[in-house]
Amino acid sequence: MNADPHLTPKKKRMTLQASLPLIGVGVGILLIIGPFLAGLIRSLLLWVGNDPQVSLANYSWLLTDTRIRTAALNSLICGLGAMSVSLVLGTSLAWIVSRTNVPGRETLRTLNLIPFFFSPYVGAIGWIFLIAPYSGLMQTSLGSLLGVSFEGPNIYSLAGVIWILSLFYTPYVYLFVISPLQRMDAAFEDAARVHGASFWTTIRLVTLPLLQPGLLSAALIVFVTSAGLFDVPLALTATKGIRTMPTEVFALVRYPSDLGRAAAFGIFITAITIVLTLWQRAHLSKRRYEIISGKGYKPRVIELRTTGTLIALAIEVLYLLTSVVLPVLALVLVALSPLWTGRFNPATATLANFSYVLFDYSLTRQAILNSLFLAVTGATLGVMLSGLQSYYLIRVRSGFKSFIDAILALPLGIPGIVLSLFFLIFAIRTPLYGTLAILLIAYIARFFPFATRTISAMLSAIHPELEESARANGATWAQTMRFVLLPLLRPALIAAWIMLFIIFIRELGASILLYASGTETISIAMLLLSENSVGYVAALALIQLVLLLTGFSLFRLTKVSAIQ
Amino acid sequence: MRQDAPDDFVTIRNVTKKFGEFRALDGLSFSVREGGTLALLGPSGCGKTTMLRCLAGLETPEEGFISIAGKVVFDSAKGINLNPEDRGLGVVFQSYAVWPHMSVVENVEFPLRVRGVAPAERRARAMEILEIVGLTAFASRSATQLSGGQQQRVALARALVHKPALVLFDEALSNLDAQLREHMRLELQALQDRLGFTALYVTHDQGEALGLAETIILMNAGQIEASGPARQVFMTHHSSFAARFFGLNVVETARLAAPHAIAGKPFIAFQREYVRISEGVTGPGSDDLVLLGTIATRSFQGLADEYAIDLGNDVSVRVLDRSGAFSPGQAVSIAISRKDLFLLDA
Ligand SMILES: Nc1ncnc2c1ncn2[C@@H]1O[C@H](COP(=O)(O)OP(=O)(O)OP(=O)(O)O)[C@@H](O)[C@H]1O
Ligand SMILES: [Mg+2]
Repeated sequence: MNADPHLTPKKKRMTLQASLPLIGVGVGILLIIGPFLAGLIRSLLLWVGNDPQVSLANYSWLLTDTRIRTAALNSLICGLGAMSVSLVLGTSLAWIVSRTNVPGRETLRTLNLIPFFFSPYVGAIGWIFLIAPYSGLMQTSLGSLLGVSFEGPNIYSLAGVIWILSLFYTPYVYLFVISPLQRMDAAFEDAARVHGASFWTTIRLVTLPLLQPGLLSAALIVFVTSAGLFDVPLALTATKGIRTMPTEVFALVRYPSDLGRAAAFGIFITAITIVLTLWQRAHLSKRRYEIISGKGYKPRVIELRTTGTLIALAIEVLYLLTSVVLPVLALVLVALSPLWTGRFNPATATLANFSYVLFDYSLTRQAILNSLFLAVTGATLGVMLSGLQSYYLIRVRSGFKSFIDAILALPLGIPGIVLSLFFLIFAIRTPLYGTLAILLIAYIARFFPFATRTISAMLSAIHPELEESARANGATWAQTMRFVLLPLLRPALIAAWIMLFIIFIRELGASILLYASGTETISIAMLLLSENSVGYVAALALIQLVLLLTGFSLFRLTKVSAIQ
Repeated sequence: MRQDAPDDFVTIRNVTKKFGEFRALDGLSFSVREGGTLALLGPSGCGKTTMLRCLAGLETPEEGFISIAGKVVFDSAKGINLNPEDRGLGVVFQSYAVWPHMSVVENVEFPLRVRGVAPAERRARAMEILEIVGLTAFASRSATQLSGGQQQRVALARALVHKPALVLFDEALSNLDAQLREHMRLELQALQDRLGFTALYVTHDQGEALGLAETIILMNAGQIEASGPARQVFMTHHSSFAARFFGLNVVETARLAAPHAIAGKPFIAFQREYVRISEGVTGPGSDDLVLLGTIATRSFQGLADEYAIDLGNDVSVRVLDRSGAFSPGQAVSIAISRKDLFLLDA
């Protein structure tokens, strides 16, 4: 019996089963730890003449420099501001479409998500065209109507940054609370009402506290993402000398270049995000409870009276106008004008800007191709990597799982520009520098956790018995994956792919330090052209939006929630 | 307008509730005396919960009149519709709805808190009621760390703490196991004696209704099928629906081999227990209805065997017998005394 012919191949398959998920996890950890270590080491080095010395000088500079303090404070203001506004707005929108009989709520439910797929950078550009002091469309059209010229609100300010960030991060909150709002056992609220609580008291004492876990997660994500977002402050305040942490990192790398200080600053930012993430994990694990009971009624739908309907519709319409319709309208008008003067002249409207950036201008043509290549390749590789990691996190038995899970989730909070700074330090003296490959690697490293979340959530809902029965019926592990698990997981894989595609198409923060001549992306091209060719910028922005909305439509088709 | 009888504490008149075109409640009227207990009984989907929610103000009927303790809380004719919080009730929900983000005592003192009772006093009153339901030791626990039975006590304490005059129970006992259920039933009665509230129970379980309530309303498809004192509703049957609901055999007379034996009514009904089986074909006794059939199945039920007996013509009845003497396939005759037979019109 010692010459069993089945023994050898079986052993090999076991190895495949054990090794593939491990490879996924290993690559993920390398992608995070590698650049982080490079950044850490660089931050501890100081060049004296030609000799590097280990020193804490960069950190002590960090603690004393007022620029850093100002930037940190500005980021804090942006983060808290955007967080507060989007919490209120996102919860209100979710409540309106899930708990009231507002007309068209099915459609509104989808429309509210569009800004989620938009690029905040493009939104900022659109809003500049809309209300730049004196020259914005609002000012010029209102001005010619009233016969005066006026300045209007100053979009080039922290308030402007908060405004744009709030518009585009509201859907995060919305996504986090709409499902608990829809599925919460109505008896929780009913019990409060019948025992004496008014409508508003019930919302304050029961509904909102029950939503707290979702609200907290959303608040943290919005805060961290807003505070770490590079492109909106760059577009709105960088030229006015108001810097936030990410634009300060950029300034440290560029004017004048001091990678050591930049790295120290990056490590500092990373440390903050790690602390925040750990705190959230600890807090959430304490407060996990079920708010959906098996039997029970769907939440009651509030029958709005006329005033209520008008208020609800006004909130919806204002939100969709300011986040989508108005900025897009401004972009369209600018893109159609041969020379933008703050006024749109239908007589001279032309598609020349589009044909120029699409076909004639090598920079933009190449940028579009680069972005598409990065998005398609990156999403594909990212989903493969995340699929393997999810398999490890959900299916493989291991004592380190929660630790590995925490590590793999780290990039969620690290600003793109910080991660790409680490990659820059990592790659600057290698042939990778200045290639599309380094952009691709940085993109995947920064964003694979989104895909891993989506896929893990679905995988944990698939009962292992489905795979076990395939194995019991004689399928190998590879066959089981191919014929059972992957088909079952397909919706999540597609959703994760589309999500990565969308993120990569619009990404600026992770690209800005790593691009070189020939590897520009759409967002980089917009940035490069923003000084003098607003028509091309608008046309490029619209082309990018079309790509993003294609992703959005596909996303609706797959019907998998973006945030699990 | 008709004057309500002076002892009507809760009055429900002509309440109709529609969901779209579907009439969940179809002109329901009944009343409860002060300190009384009434059970709304009926099969799943007959509208019991809907009626309870209309009473609590959680659902708005299209039509009707509801008054509680002399206060009109709903009147479609006058456009009166009080908010749930203004009706001053206590409600025990089927899913308990114990708030997971509050501790046990916070849950219980909630009705006092929203009524503006000072913290010290409301804590004292909540502890008092927690003592009555036997949960003092759990007061500071998170509500999520309780068993189903304990959660129900919390829900009960919460419904009673503000001393409401009327307490509504939706399937109060159905999620509990048999032992706990009996225990809670006795406890509820003791509580009611002690606190003196009026109680309205909603249940699909006849045992629960009979054990808890002095008055029973049997509902069918949004209408009242039978009502009255519990014993009377259980003992007298006026419709095949009621008879079937209480587990009686209901047989269409036209399908029987000897229809002449039953004077002209379309249905007869009888309890499983009140049937005598005998072997083979025996002649009729003095005043019995005798039917011939074949034993189809036999199942052991502890004290007795339950037989399904095939009477031919697609008629099958269930019979309890303690002799253990019969087996499937056997030809038997069954006899039912005239006094145990209900003759039904519909
Ligand atoms: N919000 C609603 N929308 C539409 N139909 C409803 C709604 N609530 C209840 N119904 C319908 O009204 C009928 C009565 O429902 P109800 O919950 O009152 O039944 P029930 O007697 O309490 O049943 P159960 O014993 O199963 O709890 C059912 O047919 C139900 O489907
Ligand atoms: Mg019910």
